[in-house]
Amino acid sequence: MAEAVFPSFPTREEVDFVIVGSGAAGGVMAKELSTAGHSVVLLEQGPHLKAADFHHDEWGYDHNLELTWGRSQGYPQTFRKFESDVAEEREMVCGYAHNVGGSSMHYSGNFWRFRPIDFVEASVRGPIAGTNFSDWPITYSDLEPYYTKVDWEVGVSGLQGPWDPPRTREYPCPPMPIKGSDVLLERAAKAMGLNPYPAPVAILSQPHNGRPGCIHCGFCNGYGCEVNAKSSSLVTVIPVALATGNCELRTHCTVHRVNTNEQGRATEVVYWDADGVEQAQRAKAVVLCANGSETPRLLLMSESAQHPDGLANSSGMVGKNLMFNGYSTVMGLFDEPVNAYKSVPATRVVHDFYELDPSLGFYGGGGIDGRHPSRGAPMGFALTAAPAFGTPTWGSEFKADLAYQFSHVAAFDGHTTSLPLSTNNITLDPTVKDKFGRPAIRTTYMDHPDDIETMRWFYEKTVEMMEVAGASNIVGHYERDGQEGNVHLLGTCRMGNDPDSSVVDAMNRAHDVPNLFMCDGSSLVTSGRGQPTMTIMALAFRAGELISQAARRNEI
Amino acid sequence: MDSATVAKGSFLALSLPVILSACQRSQQALEQGAGFRVFEADEAADLTAIAARIIPTDDTPGATEAGVIYFLDTIFAEARRASQLALLREGLGALRGQLTTGGRPIHELTEAQQDQLLRDNEQTPFFATMRYLTIAGTFSLPRYGGNRDKVGYQLIGYEDRGAWSAPYGFYDADYAERGE
Repeated sequence: MAEAVFPSFPTREEVDFVIVGSGAAGGVMAKELSTAGHSVVLLEQGPHLKAADFHHDEWGYDHNLELTWGRSQGYPQTFRKFESDVAEEREMVCGYAHNVGGSSMHYSGNFWRFRPIDFVEASVRGPIAGTNFSDWPITYSDLEPYYTKVDWEVGVSGLQGPWDPPRTREYPCPPMPIKGSDVLLERAAKAMGLNPYPAPVAILSQPHNGRPGCIHCGFCNGYGCEVNAKSSSLVTVIPVALATGNCELRTHCTVHRVNTNEQGRATEVVYWDADGVEQAQRAKAVVLCANGSETPRLLLMSESAQHPDGLANSSGMVGKNLMFNGYSTVMGLFDEPVNAYKSVPATRVVHDFYELDPSLGFYGGGGIDGRHPSRGAPMGFALTAAPAFGTPTWGSEFKADLAYQFSHVAAFDGHTTSLPLSTNNITLDPTVKDKFGRPAIRTTYMDHPDDIETMRWFYEKTVEMMEVAGASNIVGHYERDGQEGNVHLLGTCRMGNDPDSSVVDAMNRAHDVPNLFMCDGSSLVTSGRGQPTMTIMALAFRAGELISQAARRNEI
Repeated sequence: MDSATVAKGSFLALSLPVILSACQRSQQALEQGAGFRVFEADEAADLTAIAARIIPTDDTPGATEAGVIYFLDTIFAEARRASQLALLREGLGALRGQLTTGGRPIHELTEAQQDQLLRDNEQTPFFATMRYLTIAGTFSLPRYGGNRDKVGYQLIGYEDRGAWSAPYGFYDADYAERGE
């Protein structure tokens, strides 16, 4: 490929699109719009890291938060369970990586598609009092072609499961080799009459689209891939966007406002550049792909006389319906070396409990996979294993335990639903600011009782599976008092046909602002079963195509 | 199952408590035997002794061989950790002042006496910090001054190869052999 000519657009001249955020959605959006011939400025607050920059650096990433940033870097967040509480300052609540590629750089790459039921569950199952549980304005069939685009353009490895939704094309890469932790999961599941099958992952099992297959180093979750085998937007769609010559990537740009004119149209995106100088990029249209916490914050910060409650917020739904997905984990020790720290996080899933029986008396569902309990990371395991197992936490016995536990442990994790609630939300903290003076992201979150019951159900089911698998020292955890942070940031600018109860329409256009689009985790109407990024990317492929078509028809 | 002994597992590991903040420094400047940048000799001796009770040297190497003291000296050399260093010194001073030491430096106590002293102080922030940092210094990348000769990796059976192919362990090898 010839060396691409990177454009440099003047800020005071309109480009076709400014995209805020270069993560899972923003990268796809940049690729779709730039390959369609539109001029694009892609703003990213972090650096453009490459494979050579990534290391198995627990101290740097997990302790010092060099990829995710937090209060230590000048980005505090605040948290409270209830709106009546005063939020307290935290190192991090909503976790996401700050770099080109966003959190797709450091994710696990578990790429479960949503299923047809996820889009129509409210009407199939009926409303749930006190929640905003709703159908999507689109169906699985609408999204299926774009799931397939993700499979092939981003790169997914897998094998069609026993009751997976229909697909129009096979996976481009075969599933990952099974790990010992998933042999234990699969054997237990089969003994219980369940149907485990290979986990779909956005990690290449063999070369695809010019990228190499995985070397199974084990550092996926929380780390950048050192060989470009993980299918992040960083190494898939963003290089395609940049190669068009239509897309300018600007890193270290901190956005703080979207300006609008008297006609109610977005006109420019205001940001501090890498030198801290305030800039404003003019554009015909603006696409926010900043994630489910940053996108609503930016809209709320963009309030004006015309938009007193924040931009695109006539529904009052901006920031509301935050969904984290629930989580449970159970670990146990086995007689022989499992070595679950090697290779990708999960290679088998159990989806027999995608929809729990309504007769249980609560709503919920999810999936189960096998893993290493500390993502395979030595320091994280050494810090947390002994307190978890209830074994000595220091001294010779601690040391001897660790020598056995690290290689002989396996975990079975549950990934579950969250209900959308008005009371779970992102707002602007009234007092705490980040280092740029932007109001800190304030998270108010208490899992719905059904969500906690669902986590408990999966916890108990995985304890049973561990017992069937023959584990000893079985211990586990779920957030019985409610989660206080997560990396799944969903629902805060929900999609819908009704402008009174949703923020964007079925093509991700703001109901209130004709040339403003939001497309990221915030668009999700329901939470899925705990692996949202596949759907976020598919939505971005779909929205990118529809937005480009609308632009060509002068309908933006 | 005791709910108090919970395993937060992978999510907990993703949100490890942050006691201290960032630091990077090459190991080259910290050759064995070089002087300390931060610690006085007696402080280093006491901290080394404490780390050695948390991950002792027995039939295999421990915190001492991993060079945990050099990890500590590296991370506390950053100016922005000055207040945390002061807290660490305050905690060490409080430990030194306890009657059980009999006025002797901690590193001159017997191992049994050191263990008793630490057990008596197990619930203090100082001990929690020393446990955290001893583990961090044993298992983090050697570039931070600890985990010398990859002592930590060897201790837990982590093969530091960075790339593997299946089978990875006993069960998947068995699975393949049985043709499951």
